[in-house]
Amino acid sequence: MTETDPPSHDVGAQDDIELRLGANLVHLPIIRSVAASIAIRADLDLDAIADLRLAVDEACSTLITRAVADSTMVCRFTISDQELRFTGTVSSDGDDVPSTASFGWRVLTTLADSADSWVEPSRVNGHGNWVHIELTKRKPTLT
Amino acid sequence: MTPQQHPPTEQVDQDGGYEDVAPLFKDLAELDPDDPRYGKLREEIVTRCLPLAEHIARRFVGRGEPRDDLVQVARLGLLNAVDRFDPRRGTEFVAFAVPTIMGEVRRHFRDSSWAVRVPRRLKELHLALSQASGRLAQRLGRAPTPSELAAELELTTDDVSDGLLAGNAYQSVSMDAAHDDDGALPLTETVGEDDTEMENVEYHESLQPLLASLPERERRVLMLRFFGNMTQTQIAERVGISQMHVSRLLARTLEQLRSELTE
Repeated sequence: MTETDPPSHDVGAQDDIELRLGANLVHLPIIRSVAASIAIRADLDLDAIADLRLAVDEACSTLITRAVADSTMVCRFTISDQELRFTGTVSSDGDDVPSTASFGWRVLTTLADSADSWVEPSRVNGHGNWVHIELTKRKPTLT
Repeated sequence: MTPQQHPPTEQVDQDGGYEDVAPLFKDLAELDPDDPRYGKLREEIVTRCLPLAEHIARRFVGRGEPRDDLVQVARLGLLNAVDRFDPRRGTEFVAFAVPTIMGEVRRHFRDSSWAVRVPRRLKELHLALSQASGRLAQRLGRAPTPSELAAELELTTDDVSDGLLAGNAYQSVSMDAAHDDDGALPLTETVGEDDTEMENVEYHESLQPLLASLPERERRVLMLRFFGNMTQTQIAERVGISQMHVSRLLARTLEQLRSELTE
């Protein structure tokens, strides 16, 4: 199974959280719940919590539809003082990133403060590429 | 089958009465529930009255609950009615069954909005959080944080977290959907403005008919969020529903659009 595992970094900071699960839509509720839990614990406001949950949902759906069948998806949440960052990665036979003109991308960029997607050739997994989506949600400075 | 004996209420558009079940109930009352004939006769009565359950279920279609679920719930109500009906009381079975079945369907609407079984404590907690977040949003001019909610309700942040997460098991179907017609919102001027924004989205030709087929409120919430650049809290205030409800509507609508766009 390891040959379809996207490259992973060590869970460096104690607050980082990484999920590894099948690149399958059935797992979306789990990812959503984790995203919401993390955002709640980071004490984002309710709008930001809901936005992050929807954005992660959208990003993962996008990735899963591009993923090689029966492969693994890695979701990583990084929390800093300023922001909460989500990175999702799947292995894909294709090399195209999600179109920034699509409705889905509009959804992502509206819900997150920044959204980025890139493709990275993979030498190890026997399939073409890793496809990544990264989202950040800033912690608001509340008044 | 004498039409004069129709029960007066709730039954008018039935093709025929169910007078013929009266003698069956009389027979049933004389049998021991352990008697194999009891089960058979009970089944016969239930089968005979299935159209009644269908008929009642049909009246609740279009309120956000799947038709099959409604029929199933109505049939459950019918079973209860058959088991509880006492022919010696002198009432018609239909007069007894209709409110029983309707009650079952109504209860379904009341309870089923929670997709999974959620303890009452969490339901009440979630309701309290929803109300408090509305109050705080008014006061602060923005959505509150979990810690602000905890302070407002004198709860621990863990409790707030539990309550907020429990809300994700809540489906925004049922009674809310049923009210859509009463509170019909006029098609907003904003939708027109958003159309130009929409043209910048690729495949908007295929997106537009999907948006047009959405219920009015779902479309409006979606447009305000993604083409009107309003926050969920602002939309909640504009549309007159809670922020949590806006969130649920958006989640449901986005999921629906995703599946339709990839078909």
